Amino acid sequence: MNWFIHTIGSSIGKKLLMAITGLGFCGFLAVHLAGNLTIYGGKASFNSYSEHLHALEPLVTIAEWGLLTFAVVHVLTGAVLFYQNLKARPVRYSVNKSAGGRSLGSRTMPYTGILLLAFVIFHLINFHFADRTVTTIYAIVSGAFKHPAYVVVYIIAVAIAAVHVSHGFWSAFQTIGANHPKYMPLVRTIGTVFSLMVGIGFGAIPVYLFIFV
Amino acid sequence: MTKAINLTLKVWRQKGPEDKGRLETYDAKDISTNMSFLEMLDVINEQLTLAGKEPIAFDHDCREGICGMCGAVVNGRPHGPEKGTTLCQLHMRHFSDRDTIFIEPWRSRAFKIIKDLVVDRGALDRLIQAGGYISANTGGAPDANAIPVPQASAELAFDAAACIGCGACVAACPNASAMLFVGAKVSHLVLLPQGEPEAAQRATAMVREMDSLGFGNCSNERECEAECPKEISITNIARLNREYFKSRFFSNVK
Amino acid sequence: MPLDAKIPIGPLAEKWDRHRFELKLVNPANKRKFEIIVVGTGLAGGSASASLAELGYSVKTFCIQDSPRRAHSIAAQGGINAAKNYTNEGDSIWRLFYDTVKGGDFRAREANVYRLAQISNNIIDQCVAQGVPFARDYGGLLANRSFGGAQVARTFYARGQTGQQLLLGAYSAMMRQVATGRVTMYPRREMLELVVINGQARGIVVRNLITGAIESHAADAVVLCTGGYSNVYFLSTNAMASNVSATYRAYQKGAYFANPCFTQIHPTCIPVHGANQSKLTLMSESLRNDGRVWVPKNAAEKRPAHQIPESERDYYLERKYPSFGNLAPRDVASRSAKEQCDSGRGVGETGLAVYLDFADAIKRDGRAVFEQKYSNLFQMYEKITGEDPYETPMMIYPAVHYTMGGLWVDYNLMSTIDGLFVLGEANFSDHGANRLGASALMQGLADGYFIVPYTIGGYLAGTTLPNVSIDHPAFKDYSAEAKNRVRKLLSIQGKRTVDDFHKQLGLVMWDYCGMARNNDGLKKAKEMIQELRDEFWQNVLVPGSENDFNQSLERVGRVADFLDFAELMVIDALDRQESCGGHFNEAYQTEDSEAKRDDENFCHASAWEFAGEGKTPILHKEPLVFENVELTQRSYK
Ligand SMILES: Cc1cc2nc3c(=O)[nH]c(=O)nc-3n(C[C@H](O)[C@H](O)[C@H](O)COP(=O)(O)OP(=O)(O)OC[C@H]3O[C@@H](n4cnc5c(N)ncnc54)[C@H](O)[C@@H]3O)c2cc1C
Ligand code: HEM
Ligand code: SF4
Ligand code: FES
Repeated sequence: MNWFIHTIGSSIGKKLLMAITGLGFCGFLAVHLAGNLTIYGGKASFNSYSEHLHALEPLVTIAEWGLLTFAVVHVLTGAVLFYQNLKARPVRYSVNKSAGGRSLGSRTMPYTGILLLAFVIFHLINFHFADRTVTTIYAIVSGAFKHPAYVVVYIIAVAIAAVHVSHGFWSAFQTIGANHPKYMPLVRTIGTVFSLMVGIGFGAIPVYLFIFV
Repeated sequence: MTKAINLTLKVWRQKGPEDKGRLETYDAKDISTNMSFLEMLDVINEQLTLAGKEPIAFDHDCREGICGMCGAVVNGRPHGPEKGTTLCQLHMRHFSDRDTIFIEPWRSRAFKIIKDLVVDRGALDRLIQAGGYISANTGGAPDANAIPVPQASAELAFDAAACIGCGACVAACPNASAMLFVGAKVSHLVLLPQGEPEAAQRATAMVREMDSLGFGNCSNERECEAECPKEISITNIARLNREYFKSRFFSNVK
Repeated sequence: MPLDAKIPIGPLAEKWDRHRFELKLVNPANKRKFEIIVVGTGLAGGSASASLAELGYSVKTFCIQDSPRRAHSIAAQGGINAAKNYTNEGDSIWRLFYDTVKGGDFRAREANVYRLAQISNNIIDQCVAQGVPFARDYGGLLANRSFGGAQVARTFYARGQTGQQLLLGAYSAMMRQVATGRVTMYPRREMLELVVINGQARGIVVRNLITGAIESHAADAVVLCTGGYSNVYFLSTNAMASNVSATYRAYQKGAYFANPCFTQIHPTCIPVHGANQSKLTLMSESLRNDGRVWVPKNAAEKRPAHQIPESERDYYLERKYPSFGNLAPRDVASRSAKEQCDSGRGVGETGLAVYLDFADAIKRDGRAVFEQKYSNLFQMYEKITGEDPYETPMMIYPAVHYTMGGLWVDYNLMSTIDGLFVLGEANFSDHGANRLGASALMQGLADGYFIVPYTIGGYLAGTTLPNVSIDHPAFKDYSAEAKNRVRKLLSIQGKRTVDDFHKQLGLVMWDYCGMARNNDGLKKAKEMIQELRDEFWQNVLVPGSENDFNQSLERVGRVADFLDFAELMVIDALDRQESCGGHFNEAYQTEDSEAKRDDENFCHASAWEFAGEGKTPILHKEPLVFENVELTQRSYK
């Protein structure tokens, strides 16, 4: 397995880890969003979604552990890359100017990433590890979003996720080598659409709950 | 038409690798807009020399955009603001009277500064040495037309082979990564049937060497592609990634 | 000592085969023990280093630039010739040979040129195997284009960057040998001395351009591949670091310099824009297929081109050469442009340019067709001049481009110093008085890949080489000499910069030893050069110090050698009382203003021997014997 360690330890290997885990998160986000949409169906529909989900045990636990592993890999590898990249240019330029290659997303990957991490922990404590013995998930969620502060935090966090994904999505394809002049424009479009969906889809929920529930 | 403009230059001056270096200010007076950027520096250097000072050291040779020797970061842009242009082919008509121009060397841990704007790009040679070749000893070649090469592959190979090894991609990359350079070479050779046999070996060897030389990691910022004077595309980086994975996961290369 | 070119006997077509058979071989196990120094990493040096190392020799390679890949060969645009006859037009080794000899105005050595034509095909094979992305047809086979001086399409090309791609091929082959340890690469080194011990070339002294250290390197043979000396004119299409220093130093140590006055001037370059211009850029000759060259009839003309009516334009090439018109050969077109400008009818801000007008062709073919053919050239032109050639006519002027002269070598490419081999543009061997387009690349690679690897073996196997290391007193002496020279140049601390002197020298050479020469002018130039040299050694100002990266110091050494060498060029030009190829003495021309050769008295290569500082060099003649081609007069009327 030595060759394997060597491979994932190389610059491109680390990128591969980022891409696989990042795309995994994208998949998770898509599923998560689809599930969350049931909240528009009202209390019953959302609670039933939650129950159905948990009826899938032990799959959910496996998925959770999987996601946790992905998260550890994504965060640690991201941290290593960030540190190495910083070191690769010990003296910075006094004037920095982009030629138009970078985007808001690409510039801010490590920063949006770390904010996302903070948010994810916050989010998990809030909802995932919340005590559900006396109340339903719907009550917890709708309760939380009665506070404007929660709404604001969530909207900001979701916007950050959208920015992260706006670069991350196509970048992951480039990393795994799937860049072809024929398909890349499509991948980029999907990336943009997906990040908008993440932003609007997740972002609308707290607003909806705050205003209408 | 020819005009003369006056400029303020802020040039990075550094006596040697150990010196700390600093930006120094020079007035460039009466610069004809027909001059190239390097000719403008020539003029400043003549003035410095006559004033008993040391001229600004900068690398250059062909002055027609092909040798890859010139290069400096001008107002934050490697090779200056014009697209697809080396510093030697940048002309002063792209600047306006009273502009202030910052001129800095390529900055990367892999490129040590030798003096002023001159850096050591030996790392790029070491990358080629690691595998940027086809092992074809002199004398053993079959007839040139023995193996047809699809025109489209030949053209793509050429697009990648057009790299002049200037290092602007490294200078432009926010992470000082050399992926465009390596991607261009790996692509050039793997796109040709002659380069195919060593593809796996080459991809692994070149990436390994790249990682050992102190370059950063690619994060697909696309600044390299935007600054490359030969407009080499990052599809070559994707191809490098593919070739690397093929080599690592599907070949016998250790 | 009479000059012996060591041309093998036998029929022309068999000479090279026979010679290779007769050359002694070095035992493969012993090759490693032989050290060979290669100076220069252009097509010649790069290919030689790679091939010699592949054979097993221990090679040390030197170049001025920071990387071997940047040698001046990288700039060649058009292509490389080979007698493949892929186009089925009836090309053959013989035809390539004949065209080259004729193109060189019958001043090249038959046997060498024939060998070059023979090898040309192997070069293309080798380059393709290395991954050179030559242009291809739809079917995937190699494409060819036609070039000046030939009626068949035999030029292989890689867009407009043939030199770059060929050089990267040679460079990568060489870097592969660097990885094996058989080539040691020394970039940013400038050769300052050739070390000759007991009449044999045994090493070099170089300056480390980063630290300023003077370093000695010993070897069993030295191969010079240091390119041409066009920069004696200051302005040329050559790269800035191109120089004569290495070959001139060899000349001073006993290698004969042949035909120094044979220089080539290319008619279509972007004109000089002002006093601070540092270098000239070539515009492909192919433009003359569709462009019409003209100047205003009236010397006092001030209007922009498009306001000058047809009746007031002089299409002088069409007027003077009705049948060839704008496609007159390089030397003729160049000289005519100069004539027009000298008579005050030149255009542009400096008056040193003529129009190359595409209006008629654009009208005829439409802009789309035109863009397809020339868009990259038009873009390059626009980048440099800021003018759009679709709107206003291009301005062009001739520029120095290539030097046919170089160190004299025999058939083995060995100079008159034993063990000193000279390849590529640095030697004089194959192009006579004028080089055909796409033949320099061919020659550089032929020399490096396919000739010197055998002939150097013959030398090493057949020579007794006493052990020499850098502890030998000769190395100490030469190093001291090199150091003293550096110190002397630094100590002058005069009032004029290096470039200032170089520019002045360039002007003298351009005016009097350029496109057209005459005896009075040449004599005057000789005096001017001597005066300038005297002033130089008293008044040049070199900033900075010796033990440092010091680009002014690099340049001053080169200019000092150009100042010496320029005189040799003028002496050679004065001696050759005929016109041939690139050497045009106004006193010798046909009624059509063509170069008029004097085969009776000048059918020889002039090889000059250094006679000591300030002494007139000694001329040795190598008679040129033409057994296979008939000497004829060129006409383009
Ligand atoms: C603009 C242009 C276009 C051209 N186009 C064509 C074309 O289309 N077809 C064609 O056939 N020919 C063309 N030529 C000519 C051709 O490019 C050259 O003649 C040829 O490349 C010379 O190769 P070389 O190896 O002899 O020398 P170069 O490539 O000049 O290499 C010289 C080497 O020697 C080194 N060197 C020099 N002096 C020293 C020193 N003192 N110490 C240490 N190292 C030294 C340099 O660093 C360099 O590595 C063109 C030339 C020009 C200028
Ligand atoms: C919902 C959560 C997340 C998603 C969907 C996601 C997605 C992605 C994707 C697809 C990439 C692109 C990989 C590539 O370029 O190959 C990426 C890169 C990155 N991610 Fe995340 N990520 C998430 C959370 C995080 C977190 C929590 C962190 C850090 C603490 C983080 C840090 C990074 C960094 C630094 C990169 C850039 C790596 C590089 O290219 O050098 N991400 N992410
Ligand atoms: S890829 Fe472009 S920027 Fe990078 S070295 Fe090559 S030519 Fe220069
Ligand atoms: S000097 Fe050669 S590319 Fe600029």
